[in-house]
Amino acid sequence: MPDIAKMAESVEALKAHFEEHRYICSDQVATAVYLAFHLRKPVLVEGPPGVGKTELAKTTSEMFDLPLIRLQCYEGLDEAKAIYEWKYGKQLLYTQVLKETLDEVLQGAQGFAESVGRLHEFGDIFFSEEFLEPRPLLKALREEDGCVLLIDEVDKSDHEFESLLLEILSDYQVSIPEIGTVKATKEPPMVFLTSNNTREISDALKRRCLHLYIPFPDVDIEQRIIHARVPDIPEELRRQLVTFIQELRDLDLKKVPAISETIDWARTLLLLHTETLDPQLVRDTLNVILKFQEDIENVDSEITAITSKALKS
Amino acid sequence: MDRTLANFIRALRNAEVRISTAETLDAFSCVELVGYEDRAHLKRSLSLVLPKTEDEKETFDSTFDQFFKYTDVQGERAATQSEADDGDAAEGEGGEGEGEGGEGEGGGSAEAQNRGQQTGGKKKKKSKGNAYLGEEEEEEDLGPGEMTDAQSPLGALLMQNSRVELTVAMSEAGEKVDVREIQVFTQKGLYTRRIMDEMGLAGLNREISDARDSNNVSQRRMGQELKRRREWLRDQVRDYVERQFLLHADATGKRLREELLRKVKLSNVEHRSFRLIQEIVYKMAKKLAALHSRRKKVFKRGQINIPRTLRYNMAYDGAIFDLKWKSVKIDRPKVFAICDVSGSVANYSRFMLMFLYSLEEVMPKVRSFAFSSDLAEVTDLFDRNNLEDAIAKTLRDYAGGSTDYGQAFQDFKRLCLDGIDHRTTIIILGDARNNYGDPRAEILKEMYDRCKRLIWLNPESRNSWYVGDAEMRRYSAYCHQVDECNSLMHLERVVGNLLRTVT
Repeated sequence: MPDIAKMAESVEALKAHFEEHRYICSDQVATAVYLAFHLRKPVLVEGPPGVGKTELAKTTSEMFDLPLIRLQCYEGLDEAKAIYEWKYGKQLLYTQVLKETLDEVLQGAQGFAESVGRLHEFGDIFFSEEFLEPRPLLKALREEDGCVLLIDEVDKSDHEFESLLLEILSDYQVSIPEIGTVKATKEPPMVFLTSNNTREISDALKRRCLHLYIPFPDVDIEQRIIHARVPDIPEELRRQLVTFIQELRDLDLKKVPAISETIDWARTLLLLHTETLDPQLVRDTLNVILKFQEDIENVDSEITAITSKALKS
Repeated sequence: MDRTLANFIRALRNAEVRISTAETLDAFSCVELVGYEDRAHLKRSLSLVLPKTEDEKETFDSTFDQFFKYTDVQGERAATQSEADDGDAAEGEGGEGEGEGGEGEGGGSAEAQNRGQQTGGKKKKKSKGNAYLGEEEEEEDLGPGEMTDAQSPLGALLMQNSRVELTVAMSEAGEKVDVREIQVFTQKGLYTRRIMDEMGLAGLNREISDARDSNNVSQRRMGQELKRRREWLRDQVRDYVERQFLLHADATGKRLREELLRKVKLSNVEHRSFRLIQEIVYKMAKKLAALHSRRKKVFKRGQINIPRTLRYNMAYDGAIFDLKWKSVKIDRPKVFAICDVSGSVANYSRFMLMFLYSLEEVMPKVRSFAFSSDLAEVTDLFDRNNLEDAIAKTLRDYAGGSTDYGQAFQDFKRLCLDGIDHRTTIIILGDARNNYGDPRAEILKEMYDRCKRLIWLNPESRNSWYVGDAEMRRYSAYCHQVDECNSLMHLERVVGNLLRTVT
C-alpha cells in the first residue's frame, strides 16, 4: 500500500508520480489533484474530448493504488442505477416465506394488538441492508480504505440526476429513506467528474467542486506524452508529427484532433516504418486523425504547406 | 492577508465572475494550504476554486495578473526610489556630517526591504533635500541646513515619509468620497482631485505658499520639499484612482451600457454595439435556457414498468394491483421562425434569429425561413456556420427585393406546410407591409389551423399597424398572439413566454 499522503506532499511530487505512470500533465492538473486531496473536494474536469479527462481519474486510482469505481452517465440515469436498488426478487421470495411462517409467529397471540406487536418484534428486515443492492455511488461510500470515484460525462445525464449528486459531493453521504443516512467510511472517496460541455452544468454542482479545465497540450507536453505512450517512435518523427497536429488544431475544423488521435497516428506511423513525414503519406493516413470527411477534404489542399512547416520545425 | 483575498474576490465579481460564499470559503482554505509565497502556485490553485467556466478562467487570469501585479509595481517603485535616495544621500554626504550620510544609506536599504519603515528615513530625506536644492535655480544659495517642521496635517504626513500611513490616509479619503462608485473614465480626474481635497490639500497649499514668502531659509527649504512631495502624492493618488477604476468601474460602466441597450430600439443600434448586443442576447438566452431546461415528463399509457411495479407492490404481498407506468420525456418544442429580412426589418430579424439559435439548449429544433419576396429555408446555413456568419449570409442572400408576403406564404406552403403539426409553434417577424400586393391570408389561416401556436411579432409600434399598405388587420385574425417587438426586452419577454407555453 503506497503512502498516499507522502505522494501528495507537493505538486511536484504528484507530477513526478503521474509521470511514472506514463501520464504527463501540466502543473495545473497536478495542482488540481493536490488540492482535491488536501481540501477533500471533488474535481469537475472539463475540456475538449480526448485530452485525458477520464485517464486522469484512472491514473490517479492506479497511482494511489485505490480501487476505481466508475459511473458512466447517460440520459435517463436515475438513483436506482446510480445509488441503490432494492433486490425486489429476493423481497418477493421473502414475502412468500413469511406468509408460510406467519402462522407460527402469530400462534397463541391474543387479539389484534398483540399480533401486530409480535410482527414488529419479528423485525423490520424487509427494507434492510440485506435487500439493498448497492450501485456505484453507494459502493464508493462503503469502500473501507477510500477509492477513486469517476462520474464520467456528467453532462450527458439529466438535470434531476445532478441534484442527486449534490449530497454525495458536499458531505460524502447518501440518504436512503428506509434505512437512513449512509456516510463515507473514514476515507472519503476522491471524486472526479468529467464533462464534455454539451450542456451547462448547474451552479449548485459547480460550487461544490474544484473546476479543472484541461486544454489541448502545448508542443512540449504533447511531445512528452507521445514519448511516454509510444516510446519507440524516433525523436525526429515525433517532433514533426506533433508540430503537424498543433498546426491542424489552428484550422477551422469540425473536430480537431485530440491527444488520443495523436497517439493513434504515432502508432500508425510506427507501424508503417515511417522515417519522416511526407505529403503523400499524410494524405493516406489522414483518416486516423480526422474523423469527418468534410474535414479531410478541407485540409487536403493545405497538407503540403503544413507538412513542410512540420519538417522545418 | 485575508483582506487581500476578499478584495481580490470583489474585483473578480466585478469582472463578472460569479463567486458564491461557499467558493469564497474554499478560496480561504485553499490559500491557507498553499500560502502567498509562490505566486504561480497560488494562481493555479485559485483558478481551480474560483472560476467555473472556461470564459471565467480567462477573466480570472487577467484579473489575477492585474490585481497582484500592482503591488509588485509599487514595490519596485519603492525600491527604485530608495535607490535614488541612496544616491542622493551619497551626493549630499560632502555637505552633511559623515555619520548622517551613512545613516541615510542604512535607512534607504531598510526601506527597500520593507517599504514604509523609516528608521533614519527622515534624516536621509533631509540630506536628499540638500542635493535636490542644489539643482533648483531660484533658491540655490540655501545650502544644507535645518528645516522647520511642517504644520499642516497633510504636510506633516508627507514629511513623515511613511508610505504605509499615506496609503492608509489615501484609502480612507477614497472611502469618504466613494471612489468605488466611479463609473466612467472621465471621472478619474475628478476623483483624484476629491481625494486630494479630502486628505487636506488646501492646508498643504497654503503652507507651501506661506513658506515661499517666508524670510526664514529653513522654512523656505521645507516649502520646496513639500511642493516636490505634493507632486509625488498626486501621482500616487492618480494611480490609486486608476486602480479603483479598473477594479470597480469597468463593469459598472458596462452594465449601464447593457441596461440601455436592452431598451433601445433595435433598428437604432449602432453597428459598433453589435458585439455587446450579441453578448447580451447570449446572456438572456442563457438565463431563459436555465429557466426552462427542466423537461416535463408525461406518462406513456399502456406500458407497465415491471421493476417499479413489483417494487411498489411488495407491501401488498406481491399482489400486483398498484401499477406503475413507464414514462417518457416530452418532446422539445418545434419552432418555425419566418423572418422578413427586407431592409426595414432586417435588423430585428437578425436579433431574433440570434436569440432563437442561442437557445439551442432548450429549443434544438428551430427551423428558420427568410424572405423578402421569395422565401427559402435557412436552417442549413445555421447548422453549418457559426451564428454571425449564418446571419450575414442570410441577409446577403435574401435581403434584396421588395416585400411580398403573399409570395412568401405561398413558398412556405409549398416548402413545408406538411411539416407543421400540433406541436409546432410558428413565429413570424415582419411589419406586414405588403406593397399593396395580394396578402394571401388564406394560407396563413391554413398554417394557423395546423399549428399549435402562431405568433406574429411586429417591430412597428401598434399605432402604425393599420396604416398605409400594412396588412396587419387581415393577418392578425389568424394569429394566436400578436405582439409589438422592437427591443431586446420585448424579445426576451416574447421568447420567455414562448418557452413557458410550449415546453
